[in-house]
Amino acid sequence: MNLLTDSLISALHLVVSLDADMVSIVFVSLKVSSTSTLVASLIGIPLGFFIAFKSFPGKPLVLTILNTLLALPTVVIGLFVYSFIARRGIFGSLGLLYTQKAIIIGQTLLVLPIVATFTIAAISRIDTRYRKTAMTLGANQIQTAVVLFWEARFGIIAAVIAAFGRVIAEVGISMMLGGNAKGFTRTITTAMALEFDKGEFTLAVALGIILLMVSFGINLLFHSLQGRSRI
Amino acid sequence: MLYVISHLKKVFDNRTVLDIPFLEIESGIIYALLGSNGAGKTTLLNILGFLEPPTQGNILYRSVQVIFSTSHLQNLRRKVVLVDQNPIMFTTSVFKNVEFGLRIRRIPKNERVKIVTEALDMVGMRHFAQAQAQNLSAGETQRVALARGLVVSPQVLLCDEPTSTVDVEHQTMILNILKQITEERKISIVFTTHDGYQAAFLSRHTLSLDHGKPVYTDRDAGLLD
Repeated sequence: MNLLTDSLISALHLVVSLDADMVSIVFVSLKVSSTSTLVASLIGIPLGFFIAFKSFPGKPLVLTILNTLLALPTVVIGLFVYSFIARRGIFGSLGLLYTQKAIIIGQTLLVLPIVATFTIAAISRIDTRYRKTAMTLGANQIQTAVVLFWEARFGIIAAVIAAFGRVIAEVGISMMLGGNAKGFTRTITTAMALEFDKGEFTLAVALGIILLMVSFGINLLFHSLQGRSRI
Repeated sequence: MLYVISHLKKVFDNRTVLDIPFLEIESGIIYALLGSNGAGKTTLLNILGFLEPPTQGNILYRSVQVIFSTSHLQNLRRKVVLVDQNPIMFTTSVFKNVEFGLRIRRIPKNERVKIVTEALDMVGMRHFAQAQAQNLSAGETQRVALARGLVVSPQVLLCDEPTSTVDVEHQTMILNILKQITEERKISIVFTTHDGYQAAFLSRHTLSLDHGKPVYTDRDAGLLD
């Protein structure tokens, strides 16, 4: 048998037996990625709402900057955040470098533009009559925003899912700011890179399978939610 | 007087779409705004519904000067409801759509159920209460939109071409509902149409608009009969 099938069979054994090292890595990854997605959503969704809702000078420039940030490489963010939290950086005294918090900060910066721009797109796409209808029925600005949020909910959920998909699969930030410390800051992707370097493919493939399963599960959940709304 | 409008102008991209020197609208009766497409009917309804400000001019609503600022308008919008030409339904049930105005006014649940049921009865849509609102036909949507506006007991109901997108059967039904609303609930109605006979059938007064300007006002509906 070749390398791929050998690794795949061993990896499947590892996944089925819930190997302790593997579970620990998956747990760290899910924890860090969920937290950064949550923080980015808490900031990015209201930010997207504000930008979509309001007219202000420089709005096209803000949109251009947000769109540019969508393509920001993870290593650039890693380097940028590193310069702030490294021992000699402005926030060096907080001791954030090589912690899960450092990864969360970096990943939040990575996906904030994704959540904000996708939210702007979702809000801008919905029919303008929703806003007018809510207003004429007596809704104040917050109540109108709630109506728009409800009508744009699937677009906004898609933004959150896209953000989670981006952070769980990124490797640059986790490696540069987390340091790949076993049981602490070792995530699925950094572990896969390390195992590959070592020539140990079994764990790498097992983690790859889990990464795909997580992605598939989330997309399945999203589509089932979307389907339920149409009934 | 419900509305007293003077020197009202609305300009879009240097084009005057509405130019009304003077207009009075009495309360408790039905007015028809008659005019072809682009005559400025919808723009005038949006202004009467406090949904967009005029470029210039003066509006008195129940003898009080209308100030087009967010805080002031919020209060006025709770007295005037505009039903669109193609009303849009929130993506939820018919019941929740109609209930919306009451929920945001924090009306207690049991009272909401009673008011919504009454309104759905009035428009003949009670048996659709739990249906998904977005699956309704154009005529049913228009009736639910009327019920959604009615439940908040507005002083004025503005209807933008309420029968333009519905079949003949629904047209009669909607016109009868509008008549019933004024007679039973004493709600003032201003509706737009380009059908002179419909205006005559339903309204006491007609305002005809042509390219944003009133052609004549205060015509008795009987004249067209």
